[in-house]
Amino acid sequence: MAPHLTHEEFFSSLTNLLNQTSQKARGSVFLTQKALIEPTTEEGAVAPSRPSILIRATDGNTSAPNPKSSANGGVSKTKSKASKVKISTVVAADELETFYTRYAEVCKAGMSGLKKRDRKRGKAKKGAAAKVAK
Amino acid sequence: MPYLPTSQAFLEQSCLLLEAYPETTRITAKYNFPSTQTRSSRKPTSPTTTNGASNAPAAPVASLTLKTYDPRSGVCLKYRTNKVAEVGRLFTSFGKLAAGADVASLGLTGAAAPTAATADVEMGDAPALEESAGAAAGATGGSQQGATTGAGTTPAKAGGGKSKKKGGKGKR
Repeated sequence: MAPHLTHEEFFSSLTNLLNQTSQKARGSVFLTQKALIEPTTEEGAVAPSRPSILIRATDGNTSAPNPKSSANGGVSKTKSKASKVKISTVVAADELETFYTRYAEVCKAGMSGLKKRDRKRGKAKKGAAAKVAK
Repeated sequence: MPYLPTSQAFLEQSCLLLEAYPETTRITAKYNFPSTQTRSSRKPTSPTTTNGASNAPAAPVASLTLKTYDPRSGVCLKYRTNKVAEVGRLFTSFGKLAAGADVASLGLTGAAAPTAATADVEMGDAPALEESAGAAAGATGGSQQGATTGAGTTPAKAGGGKSKKKGGKGKR
């Protein structure tokens, strides 16, 4: 696995990943967080109260061929099958607050495919009106 | 794998799960668009209706699925949303969860919720004890399940799933 990125690198890669997914309007982004417990350091320096947090982001692609797409023989599918994106970073316990403030911002900005609060009602009405008119 | 009805319930339950299993519990957020199959079936209708607007509204609305999973106990909590307004709040809460915040410091509980939630924490511990105690504890698990079902809807979902599993093991 690739080494962990710094926070800056992680955020820029994550922004790219989210924007690409939003633009294509297909695919997924998986963001995972878990406590990082390193087995080697447990005996020496025991700090079980506040472990670091491991953050991973991936697009869920796999390098293995998809039997479905090969059966269909679609050209576009083989093209879109980019290599798997998998990034990760480690956040120390005392950096959590600053990291997550930024993390929330990046995700909010990147996830543009979700419903916007103001737009939602206006466009739903407009869409309905357009359907009725045509 | 219950989908919890509100983000508040999801965060509360996730917090309790993290408390019970801080080392193995992981939180995953999946940002995804509906599969291309459903999209292509919808597409023929949408371009005709939205002529003036840009292509973006015709595109499917993405969804954000949150999942808290602990492989040791097998507990899986889910929540799904498609509103961008919730994203910021959810990720801020994730930060608090990562920092090891307890239910009270999440700052989203009412008066009634913590009591029901505390009952669920005890449930989280109970199965582990039962496992060590052996099959005889199967009956205890059954009675506890009944007790939590009365306590409230959300804890019953999470806790009930656990004790059902244990009960099944004990009977067989």
